[in-house]
Amino acid sequence: MNRKTLAILAAVVVLPLVLRPAIAAEIWIFAIFGLGLNLLLGYTGLLSFGQSTFFGSAAYVAGWLLKHYGINVFLALGTGVFVGAASAALVGYLCVQRSGLYFIMLTFALNQLFYFVAYQWTSVTGGEDGMPGIPRPGAFLGIDFRDPLPYYIFVSALFLVSLWIMKRIVESPLGKILQAIRENELRAEAVGYNVARFKLLAFVIGGAFSGLAGVLYAMLFGIVPLEAISFVTSGNVVFATLIGGSGSLYGPVIGSFVFIWLSESVSTLWARWPLLLGVAFVIVVLFFRGGVVEAWARFSAWWQERKWRSSKQNG
Amino acid sequence: MLYALMGLGLSLITGVLNIPNFAHGALFAVGAYLLVTAVNVLGNFWIGLVVAPLGVALLGLAIEYLGVRRLYAAGHDYQLLFTFGLSLILAEAIILVWGPVGISHLPPEILRGGVDLGFTFYPKYRLFVMVVAGALVFLTWLFLEKTRYGAIMRAGIENKEMVSLLGIDIHWLFTAAFAIGAYLAGIAGALTAPIRGLSPGMGVDMLGIAFVVVALGGLGNLLGAIGAGLLIGVAQAIVAAYWTEASTAVIYAVMAAVLLVRPQGLFGIR
Repeated sequence: MNRKTLAILAAVVVLPLVLRPAIAAEIWIFAIFGLGLNLLLGYTGLLSFGQSTFFGSAAYVAGWLLKHYGINVFLALGTGVFVGAASAALVGYLCVQRSGLYFIMLTFALNQLFYFVAYQWTSVTGGEDGMPGIPRPGAFLGIDFRDPLPYYIFVSALFLVSLWIMKRIVESPLGKILQAIRENELRAEAVGYNVARFKLLAFVIGGAFSGLAGVLYAMLFGIVPLEAISFVTSGNVVFATLIGGSGSLYGPVIGSFVFIWLSESVSTLWARWPLLLGVAFVIVVLFFRGGVVEAWARFSAWWQERKWRSSKQNG
Repeated sequence: MLYALMGLGLSLITGVLNIPNFAHGALFAVGAYLLVTAVNVLGNFWIGLVVAPLGVALLGLAIEYLGVRRLYAAGHDYQLLFTFGLSLILAEAIILVWGPVGISHLPPEILRGGVDLGFTFYPKYRLFVMVVAGALVFLTWLFLEKTRYGAIMRAGIENKEMVSLLGIDIHWLFTAAFAIGAYLAGIAGALTAPIRGLSPGMGVDMLGIAFVVVALGGLGNLLGAIGAGLLIGVAQAIVAAYWTEASTAVIYAVMAAVLLVRPQGLFGIR
């Protein structure tokens, strides 16, 4: 067990003490979502701007089943993972054939397709009002998930499992192949890997994580808002992953912590907070391009130098 | 025709600058809102129609000069985040300035009512939009194909390094391309205002369509963008006549279907 794992375990324990459990749970849910994106963005080098497609689809389908058929909690999670992976397979199949700008635009356009279906299919999704009334699973092994704290524990346990699985994936031969594709697609192809198929696989895995996050989100708030499948959600998860630093496994975890914590505290203060979010995007891009991790490294380097200078002056 | 205008502008920006411009829809919306304000202040639709897109072009100029220019070396992810951030800022700024509620705007006096075309009765303003947009598309095409500057721009899409080696200031080229693309988005927005009315969400809806047009037409393929824009417009109009609710989703479904058969887009070469 290394320091990073310990830090995350500590955060899991401490967060609900300092934040509302709902927000703390949202942080870990968003982190699962970010992990899925990071497999594409950070490890395979695919900038998907349509991750909310999988997040939202899973939330709607599982939410609908929970609401109308009262399915078991694990069945709901399984449904979410499946729907996320299946929709990702569909979108991925269309997108992996292209690269660069085309790829980004396609993921976005297909995201819009799903969005408009959800927007217009009001009898199922509730359209603009969202799909309310999703029950949180009742008692399980004597624990009532309807209370915020047990649900938080449930979510954070799933987050830890997701993180562990993702760690195993990126450290496996598959993860290495994906990184090879990121570094040099032509060479990976030349070495004999079917690049398109591996990209699709990364898409499906990323979609499964997004789907899991989507279901947990739906059960957390008891509603699937239309926003869950909109491109803003896709943009948010990209932003969170980038501010955390997309190169590392823990980047999206840090990013979603910063993002959710900030947005939850600002959005209650001002209804026009997306304006600030946009300003934050612009500032980060123009001045802090390596994310929080790099900003910290720069700060500590500056601090070290200052200390060194002052010690030289004194001595 | 409006879709063709949007697609043409976006195709120019993505083609020349090689960035994903997620602010394109926001520029469209700003164009529409500027028109309404210009008309209210100046009291004349025609002056508004000239001023509003120029304002958007200026905005585009500023965006490229102050922001996008610093990001050519950065990856697409940061360029995307930047333009996405801009689009959030512009959309929220619209809400702050003009309010969150949709505004309806009437076309000028002479263009109200309809024309009898013999077989059908058609609103005058829509005819006017078709003519103006058609003329603009034609003028842009003429500019790109027949003038020296247009040739430089097309060369910029093909091979940027070669263009700069030939002694042409590539930064100027990028700024100009962004400004022209923004102008086209702005005038498309201004023309739309009297047809569909205005709402803060109008930019995003249009952004998706513009991307579809570019994806279908082929990246940097300007004639392809015009063709795809027309195709999408007609497809949407036909579907809207039979199944109104699905008309927006159909655009994307058409795109998905086309890409299944021809991954490089309808007119794409690359």
